[in-house]
Amino acid sequence: MKISHNVVVWGAAILITVNGFFPALWILFTALKSETELAHIPITWLPQAPTLANFISAFSEQPLLRFTLNSVIVAAGSTVIAVFAGACAAYALVRLRIPGRGLVLSTLLAVSMFPLIALMVPLFQIFRSLHLLNTYMGLILPYSVLSLPVCTLVLISFFQDIPADLENAAMIDGCSRLGALWRVVVPLSTPGILTAALLAFVNSWDEFLLALTINTRLSMRTLPVGITLYQSEYADRWPVVMAALVIAIVPVSLLIALFQDRVVGGLTQGGLKG
Amino acid sequence: MKKLLISTLLAGVASFGLTFAGAQAADITLHVFVGGNARPDLVTKLLSDFDAKNPGITSKIEVGGATSEQQSNYLNTVLSSQDDAIDVYLVDIVRTSENAAAGWSAPLNKYLGSDPKKFMSRYLAAYSNADVVDGKVIALPFFADAQFLYYRQDLLKKYGLTPPATWDEMIADGKKIEAGEKNPNLTTFSTAGAPIEGTVCTYLVPMWDAGSDLTVNGKLALDTAAAKKPFELFTQLKTEKAIPVNLAEIATDRIRTDFQAGNTVFAMLWVYAYNLFQTQQDSKVKGVVGVGTLPGFTAGKGYTCIGGWQVAVSSFSKHKAAAAKLAMFMASESSSKTLAVSGSLLPVFSTLYKDPDVVKANPWFAGALPVLLSSKARPVTPRYGEVSEALRTNMNAYLAGTKTADAALADMKAKLQPVFGQ
Amino acid sequence: MALSELERSERRLGYLLLLPAVLLLATIVVYPVFDLVRTSFYQLNLTTGLLHPRFTGLANYARAFADHQLLESALATILLTVISVPSALVTGLALALLADQVKGARWFVRLALLMPWMLPLVFVGLVFHWFFDYRLGIVNDILVRMGLSALQWLSSPALAFIGISLAIIWKTSAFVAMILLAGLQSIPKYLYEAAEIDGAGTLTKFRYITLPMLRPSILVALIFRTITSIQTFDIPYAMTNGGPGNSTETLAMFVRKTSIDFLDFGYGSALATLMFIGSMLATSVYLKHVQRDAPEG
Repeated sequence: MKISHNVVVWGAAILITVNGFFPALWILFTALKSETELAHIPITWLPQAPTLANFISAFSEQPLLRFTLNSVIVAAGSTVIAVFAGACAAYALVRLRIPGRGLVLSTLLAVSMFPLIALMVPLFQIFRSLHLLNTYMGLILPYSVLSLPVCTLVLISFFQDIPADLENAAMIDGCSRLGALWRVVVPLSTPGILTAALLAFVNSWDEFLLALTINTRLSMRTLPVGITLYQSEYADRWPVVMAALVIAIVPVSLLIALFQDRVVGGLTQGGLKG
Repeated sequence: MKKLLISTLLAGVASFGLTFAGAQAADITLHVFVGGNARPDLVTKLLSDFDAKNPGITSKIEVGGATSEQQSNYLNTVLSSQDDAIDVYLVDIVRTSENAAAGWSAPLNKYLGSDPKKFMSRYLAAYSNADVVDGKVIALPFFADAQFLYYRQDLLKKYGLTPPATWDEMIADGKKIEAGEKNPNLTTFSTAGAPIEGTVCTYLVPMWDAGSDLTVNGKLALDTAAAKKPFELFTQLKTEKAIPVNLAEIATDRIRTDFQAGNTVFAMLWVYAYNLFQTQQDSKVKGVVGVGTLPGFTAGKGYTCIGGWQVAVSSFSKHKAAAAKLAMFMASESSSKTLAVSGSLLPVFSTLYKDPDVVKANPWFAGALPVLLSSKARPVTPRYGEVSEALRTNMNAYLAGTKTADAALADMKAKLQPVFGQ
Repeated sequence: MALSELERSERRLGYLLLLPAVLLLATIVVYPVFDLVRTSFYQLNLTTGLLHPRFTGLANYARAFADHQLLESALATILLTVISVPSALVTGLALALLADQVKGARWFVRLALLMPWMLPLVFVGLVFHWFFDYRLGIVNDILVRMGLSALQWLSSPALAFIGISLAIIWKTSAFVAMILLAGLQSIPKYLYEAAEIDGAGTLTKFRYITLPMLRPSILVALIFRTITSIQTFDIPYAMTNGGPGNSTETLAMFVRKTSIDFLDFGYGSALATLMFIGSMLATSVYLKHVQRDAPEG
């Protein structure tokens, strides 16, 4: 029994690792190859003559660290707003007696169904008149809206699981409604809040089309747009793009994974057993 | 109290000074939009030259996405919002007419002196034709481009061959070389086949070569034998195994990397590749690349697609006169020379092909002029976007084997008829 | 009906809490959506020299219903959704269950789970394009090493669909796994302990505890996977650019092409509005479940 459980665990770890890291490893190997080695037939798996030239190009040709910083600022900013607004809305929808709840929820979801590409011209016009072009706010605001529906929905499903009795008990102990929300509901739904935060973060991290149009100044470009600047019709430059991906994506992913492990792991274990 | 008074006074003086200085320095600021693929480094240099010669005007570069599509995504949003954030912009030659029809590019006639026609006649004919619509000058030529036949001089020499003048000759040469080289990765010929802009030329070049065009006297001409010629040519190339089996997946720069790795004998490719072949550190074809006119169905009749970038002035610019001045500077002979000498970009003036500095920097340019003179423009229409889509997707589907030639032609016709009004 | 003082103050607080969300939507979304729908009733095509919109009523919609390219791109989108949403759900659930089992080196497993998701969509498309390349891709390399023949993944409609679906599933199953993993962790452990005392096996526990408890999370994941799947753009754009021909062109690609490449804003807006209505219909089924789940409060 014990052994078979260990086998499952190890199998699980290996499967997840291969699924997650194989493309990442392939990106790394490609980043270490020269363009001609990449065109070699049959293909080489491991770089035959590893070179760091692509990493140097990735750093020197474009302000890669600046792109990364911009992406992190924009993603973090929109995450804070989306999670805050989403948590407030979710709580109002789950606990407080608001008429037309279904309608509010549907409207919220409908927002995420409009194809962004079709909203680009009017959005651009608004942002121009608000002087938000080439600012962090110019991306933080629309990204918050982009993530608001998913955050709200995730948090609704978490808030529902928290027994209303716990809150009522806190309120009998002298807490106000908001006090109960802050002291009881928020700590109990930490995994939900952090999941919502992660979803919002990656939503912003991913976005390409808006970023291409709203922030055109080189120093304000975000990562997905910034990395495509190494390429053009006349330059596939796979190895350099891959090198840029390695430099930009790996540290941020690592930080998030560590954060998740320490913070989320700690909180869930402390929170739900009590 | 005294302190407060003094500091207020000081602040007042300072702000006065600032507004004064500001009023003097910020006469006119021009914003210039340049794609990441149009050598922003050289454009920056041109702009600072311009600023130095024109006190009171400051020009600022804005570098856009690196592909034509990313740029039109952006330009489209900005210009359809009638935004004055851009004064001067670079535009792909196939999009100049569309821009003019949308009312985005300002006609430049009144800035070009007493005789705009004469002004434009200084440029290579293909460009002065494409940039003048209904007598209005809608853009000025910045640098030229065209599809060349690239070939492996070393291999041709080794087998005692000369650059092929006809497609049949090219196939035969390829066979001879492949038989001798015994390299299973070597392909005779490569060109664009993926559903991208370059594939439009893959269709049009053989059609021109067969003596027709997409429209004849303004009418769609897809019922002709010439309209079928491109399909027949590629079927022949396919059965003779002269093209990669996955041609339908091949996009522009892939042609370059394959040739650079020594896997292609002949390639139909834009100008940019030449320098990369010679300078890329691990290029396998350094010093053995030849360029010339594309083969034809009969000798001496090869055509090619013209490309290149144009400078346009935005209709929404608040400083059109200054913007036009800058556009004329960017499209001047001296700028064209700068681009040729330090960027190996093809000049838009025929005289520059004999300029000693240009020839010294790019000895192979001498052979480029005849290719440019053999080039034709893709259909000039405001609805070029739709024309391009109809041609590239159907050519691609034919190359992928998902449509027959007749089906591809029928679908092209269905999409193009509304465009050309029949 | 008179409300008690408590009810009234609760409702006030409720509105107050909705305020941030409403403000966000009002500033960013209301005008663009209004503009989009209005434009869809106008003829506004910048390439025809018609620079001022002309009201045409439902003409754009009539044109859409006769447009076989809309039908084709809608079918391609539906096909991708039908393949990739359930597959991503199953894969994501499996990944989440597996990750939940692993206790040691958890940060490493988390990282593995995160990697596909942290790679922006555009680059997932580019990397998978490279994987499926005919001559230089790893997939064909493996096929050839196994003694099979290389396949033209990106220029055959069926294979291109498979390749695109795999890329989407790889990327989005991480999203599903993240949502479900959080759901798994909030299932109280005493439920399993109680079931074990009753002698329940692994499958029984999964069937009667895990699945029902995960239901809300699964719904959330499904709703968002469906919505984003209907808007699929970056991955097929980077992998095939719609080819061969138009066979892998999705609705979002078609809308973009109509508005941006053809400058036909009127028709493009009508297409976008139709796309919106389509996704409303597709997700209304889920929404019913969400509303049913919400406890009456």
